[in-house]
Amino acid sequence: MAKKIVNSVRLGIFVLSGLAFLILLLFMIGRNKSLFGSTYVLKAKFENVQGLIPGNNVRYSGIQSGTVRNIKIVNDTIIEVSMMIDTEMQDIIRKDAIASIGTDGIVGNKVVNIVPGKGHAELAREGDVIFSKKPIDTDAILQKLSNTNNDISEIVSGLKITVERVNSSTALWELLNDETIPKEIRQSAVNLRLTTSRAGMMADDLHTIIADMKAGKGSVGVLLKDTAFAYNLNEAVLKMNKVGSQADRLTNDIGTIVKGIQQDVNSGKGPANAFLKDSVMVKNLNSSIDNLRKGTDGFNQNMEALKRNFLLRGYFKRQERQKQAEKPNP
Amino acid sequence: MQSELKLDTESNKVLIIKELCKSFGDNHVLKDFNLELVKGESVVVLGKSGSGKSVLIKCIIGLIKPDKGSIHIFGHNIPDLDHDKLDQIRAKVGFLFQSNALYDSMTVRENLEFPLRRHWLEVSQKEVDNMVISALEDVGLAHTIDMMPVELSGGMRKRVALARTLILKPEIILYDEPTTGLDTITSKEIIELMVEIQQKYKTTSLIISHDMNCVRMASNRVVMLIEGKCYASGTFNEITQSADPKVKQFFE
Amino acid sequence: MSLKSDLRSFLTLNGELFRFTFRFFSHGLNPPYEFAEFLKQCYVIGYKSLPLIGMTAFIMGLVLTMQLRPSMADYGVEAQLPAIVAIAVIREVGPVITALIFAGKIGSSIGAELGSMKVTEQIDAMEVSGTNPFRYLVATRVLACTLMLPILVMLGDAVSLYGAYLGVNIHTNTSFTLYWTQVFDNLTFGDVLPAFIKSYFFGFAVGIIGCYKGYNSSKGTEGVGRSANSAVVVSSVIIFVIDLLAVQVTDILNY
Repeated sequence: MAKKIVNSVRLGIFVLSGLAFLILLLFMIGRNKSLFGSTYVLKAKFENVQGLIPGNNVRYSGIQSGTVRNIKIVNDTIIEVSMMIDTEMQDIIRKDAIASIGTDGIVGNKVVNIVPGKGHAELAREGDVIFSKKPIDTDAILQKLSNTNNDISEIVSGLKITVERVNSSTALWELLNDETIPKEIRQSAVNLRLTTSRAGMMADDLHTIIADMKAGKGSVGVLLKDTAFAYNLNEAVLKMNKVGSQADRLTNDIGTIVKGIQQDVNSGKGPANAFLKDSVMVKNLNSSIDNLRKGTDGFNQNMEALKRNFLLRGYFKRQERQKQAEKPNP
Repeated sequence: MQSELKLDTESNKVLIIKELCKSFGDNHVLKDFNLELVKGESVVVLGKSGSGKSVLIKCIIGLIKPDKGSIHIFGHNIPDLDHDKLDQIRAKVGFLFQSNALYDSMTVRENLEFPLRRHWLEVSQKEVDNMVISALEDVGLAHTIDMMPVELSGGMRKRVALARTLILKPEIILYDEPTTGLDTITSKEIIELMVEIQQKYKTTSLIISHDMNCVRMASNRVVMLIEGKCYASGTFNEITQSADPKVKQFFE
Repeated sequence: MSLKSDLRSFLTLNGELFRFTFRFFSHGLNPPYEFAEFLKQCYVIGYKSLPLIGMTAFIMGLVLTMQLRPSMADYGVEAQLPAIVAIAVIREVGPVITALIFAGKIGSSIGAELGSMKVTEQIDAMEVSGTNPFRYLVATRVLACTLMLPILVMLGDAVSLYGAYLGVNIHTNTSFTLYWTQVFDNLTFGDVLPAFIKSYFFGFAVGIIGCYKGYNSSKGTEGVGRSANSAVVVSSVIIFVIDLLAVQVTDILNY
């Protein structure tokens, strides 16, 4: 008989401990679910509850303070969420508190987060509706992020194409060529050509005069024996030749420089290089142009001197007349 | 709720079997078997293995439902009785199983107490103890009361099983091959015990056996069960003198 | 031929098992109640299984935690280990492992016990002794199994979660309070109650199948062995079937 009593005691302990664990489990869960202990109801209205379900936690400034009791659709845009809040929060949550729906961690359950409002409104009572904030929709954020990503990727690919084009094409460099340095160069070249042609023209004129003189034509031939005049004239012709050869050299120099720039641009050397070249070239150019001008000035002076010479005045006047006679019928 | 069954224990004929039939599929074990047991007599049913002796005895106690025929014990037809009434008849009919059927998980005392369970509300624990001890003394095994059945020898187990059968003071005892699996000396002791109890309690015995010693020593009357029928009947001497070849082959 | 007879025996098993279950509900639960035997069986089936179940549950909790840790650490959610293990143990591992061990221990012992009682005519002897063996043997055992397994599952869960606590603490230092807070915080009624309810069904299945197999054992010692064996096999399979049904029902009920 004693054996049987021990059996019953052990059986009793066994059964009770099993049930005790079950009850403990249920009680602990129930406490988390606010089934035990007194609660009051607060409401909040949302446009989108993002999968919030009854039983989700409600937190006040991060403190577990209740659970979602039910979710009711009021109309096509408003959803009312009723929350069971622990009674001890009754002295804390005010009417202007703001509820929002968030997530417990990145992939966790949905939670309702209540944060205190800025003002000092009355304390919220049973059944009050507190403010709500449009929830941060993680999906939307992800959607936006994805869009942004797409945009960035588009921009990057555009940039890439541009850079590739810049690198591979001469168009830009031709543009630079046309509008900045080359313009000047071209202008200089034009001037140069002008000067050169004028020099050429004068030289031709002189040739004609000298040939005329040699042939003893007109009044000029009479004066051929005047050595002083002949010396002067020779000197002028030599000077003119000098200027002409100088101009030729300059034209060659400029041609070389332009060629060099074009080569640089075409071979794709960096813009810095080109600019460096540019400044050097401009300097060179300037000095060349200066030289040219000086030469041309000198030439002009010689020509003026020649014109004023009384011996040749008649020739020049005739030339003028011929030109004017030619003009009406070109 | 359990109505008391009126048992006709005064009548001379305690067990009447009429036209009993039982078949398992195509195997017709019992075909129109008839038997009457008179109060106080000891009848041995003799037959080959598989001749339906065990089926007969299980039909009598209500463990097997016969296909046809009637079995009247104390004036009640066993196949017609519901469970409660059958239990009341069974309280007056002891059954000694071939394999003893002692409950392995119980001590000898608990085994003997078991049939008294139905009466526990009416009988005090002290009376139960007395009944257990006196039943064990009847079979000479009072010292084994707190032993487990596995600790007992084959002969002792048979005696404990007999004590358990006796504890309800049955009017009729059905023995299913009581000497099977026992050596000659032990079987002889068991048979002597059976005879002793028969005389002491004036019970009516129906013994199923194919053991000649058992038949000779315990029987007032012998019934030959051959081909599902009561083939021959008579005292041991009459049967042994029979000229019928089917009867004769048992005694060769 | 073999397939046909297999199908036939399968259907026969189903049919007879159903009839046996029906008999349990129609006859087994009527008075007289075998209260003493029921308590005895509760003791044998419940209390005596506790060391075995406790040990396996402990190991299961510990191993599960250690196995889950690397994957959890890979995802950077190692801190969620107690929560994951708690849910796994309470919802699935606890009830099923406990039920399977229970089927192995109790299903086989019931099958063998009733089988040998059948073979040695003890069941007939009870019938003759005025005791309904179905109520005395079957009903008490089935009820004891049904009521004791949930208790064992609960204790197994507790031991298992303690094992998991030790497992969590192998690599990190989590306080006992923090561990249990995390466990309880992440469980819901939807985890505990369906698991608790289904363990009643597990217990009932183990009990009824063990009893059916034993009660219908064929003659001879071989029959007893076969009863014990098939009791374990059939009840283990049924446990999984019930588990499958339970998860569907729980799913429909949205827990």
